[in-house]
Amino acid sequence: MVLGEIATATVTAVFLSALYAIIAIGFTLIFGVGGILNFAHGAFITVGMFAAFLVTNSNGLVELPIWAGLLAGTGAGALLGAVTYVGIVRYVRDRPVTVLILTFVIGFFLIYAIRIGASDILGVDDPLAIPVPQVMGTDALNNVFILVTSWLLIGLLFYFVNYTRTGRAIIAVSQSDKGAALVGIDAGKINLITWTVAGAFAGYAGVLLAGAFGSGSWLMSIQPPAPLILSFAIVILGGLGSIKGSIAGAYIIGFAETFAVNFVPGGQQLAGVSSLVLLVVFLLVKPEGLFGRGAAE
Amino acid sequence: MSVDTDADADEEPAGTEATAGDSDVALEAEGLEVTYGKVTALRGLDVIVTEGEIVSLIGPNGAGKTTFCNTASGFLDYGGSVRYRGQEVASVGQTELVDRGMVHCTEERDLFGYMDVEDNLGLGGYLRDDEVIEERKEFVYELFPRLDERREQNARSMSGGEQQMLAIGRALMGDPDLLILDEPTLGLAPVILQDIAEALDPIVERGVTVLLTEQNVTFALKHADRIYLLENGEAVREGTPDELKGDDYIRESYLGG
Repeated sequence: MVLGEIATATVTAVFLSALYAIIAIGFTLIFGVGGILNFAHGAFITVGMFAAFLVTNSNGLVELPIWAGLLAGTGAGALLGAVTYVGIVRYVRDRPVTVLILTFVIGFFLIYAIRIGASDILGVDDPLAIPVPQVMGTDALNNVFILVTSWLLIGLLFYFVNYTRTGRAIIAVSQSDKGAALVGIDAGKINLITWTVAGAFAGYAGVLLAGAFGSGSWLMSIQPPAPLILSFAIVILGGLGSIKGSIAGAYIIGFAETFAVNFVPGGQQLAGVSSLVLLVVFLLVKPEGLFGRGAAE
Repeated sequence: MSVDTDADADEEPAGTEATAGDSDVALEAEGLEVTYGKVTALRGLDVIVTEGEIVSLIGPNGAGKTTFCNTASGFLDYGGSVRYRGQEVASVGQTELVDRGMVHCTEERDLFGYMDVEDNLGLGGYLRDDEVIEERKEFVYELFPRLDERREQNARSMSGGEQQMLAIGRALMGDPDLLILDEPTLGLAPVILQDIAEALDPIVERGVTVLLTEQNVTFALKHADRIYLLENGEAVREGTPDELKGDDYIRESYLGG
């Protein structure tokens, strides 16, 4: 009986963690390469969700299948990442505090734009419940889809970063800007690639997240499971900037949360809390995270 | 002695000798000025490096040696002129300069600390083809057998001397025509200094021109073809090692009388 519950919870945790990993990976990447905490990350996720809504709903622009939504969300995220870097971040990337404030402001701007766009322009009834369908027909299949694509995409990213020339350049920039310049790597180009890839991951995550939870919301970056805070916690747990660490962090939080919700009395209220608790514990006990400073690897 | 007589020519050289294509001048600075805020680091510096030479800039801390290196390799804004193979470095751009064969090995080394020797060297050849990378790697390992023994070791865990070898090795991976070595001997033990010194000949034999900055005047006198003495951002002496050894000022101020 209890064993059965544990098994069920484990399966749930595995699926949830895969989703969390994909939510956090873009945040990790940008920090790993540029040392930048991208506070607009949650908004990138929200934009991905909204782009999917726009192409899959009669209240949106066109009503296409969710696959088109997945593409639109990913593309919108990528474009947004690129524009944010080219338009703003590259001018201030040597000033971490300025970047932090600016990404925060960009994030606010974007989510308010979505709120206004959704309710005032498109006439969505409730901007806290913007309908985005899940990718697969059933919850079970949808979970499998998330799990498989999460591993596939993160696996591809890992391969790209570690085994391609551009990927090696990304790691080089993450370790030494000047060193990278000395060997002829254009750090601006590498940062643009990073922001674009990170944005694509965020957009993709937004579509999956909204689908898995039934709908998206203009405030989804801070509503449970609060992808912005979640990303922060995952990345601190794993070691800032480490891809491997982020995956580990995502699974630790996914499991902690699922088990808290299922086995702690009154645990339903704890859904978003476990990531915060783990965040605080790690900051106090192991501030360098599980994988320490492993750069983008 | 072998100084190009067109050193004072106009910015647009009209003669046949000094055009970018066939000139044997690798690097030429004219009236070079660099300031950091209100501080002037270089004030009208003139330097010429001819292909195939080892030219050394010597001088005390703050004389402007490192500033000159950083300016020549495209990292700093400047007034006046500094040209690599006849082209103004500001218009070429830092990354493109590396591609065109000017490779800078900085005083701080700027290695990829969390990568091993192999990866650092591999990235040194970032702009080169795989064949060039392989060939160059062999050359570097031959030049510095210590690196060969430490292929898997992370750069940050190596000794200062080994890191210096790796920094030079990484620069050589870029297949340089002009190698800028900024204070390669700084803080190194004499035995390591010897290793670095012995590497210079094979490097030059491969047709590499070397710009070497040094606080170690004895080292510079021993290895350079020509030397500039910098003080307060200006070249106050220029000549061959023999000429400078005979200079009273140099003897008294830099060689201990």
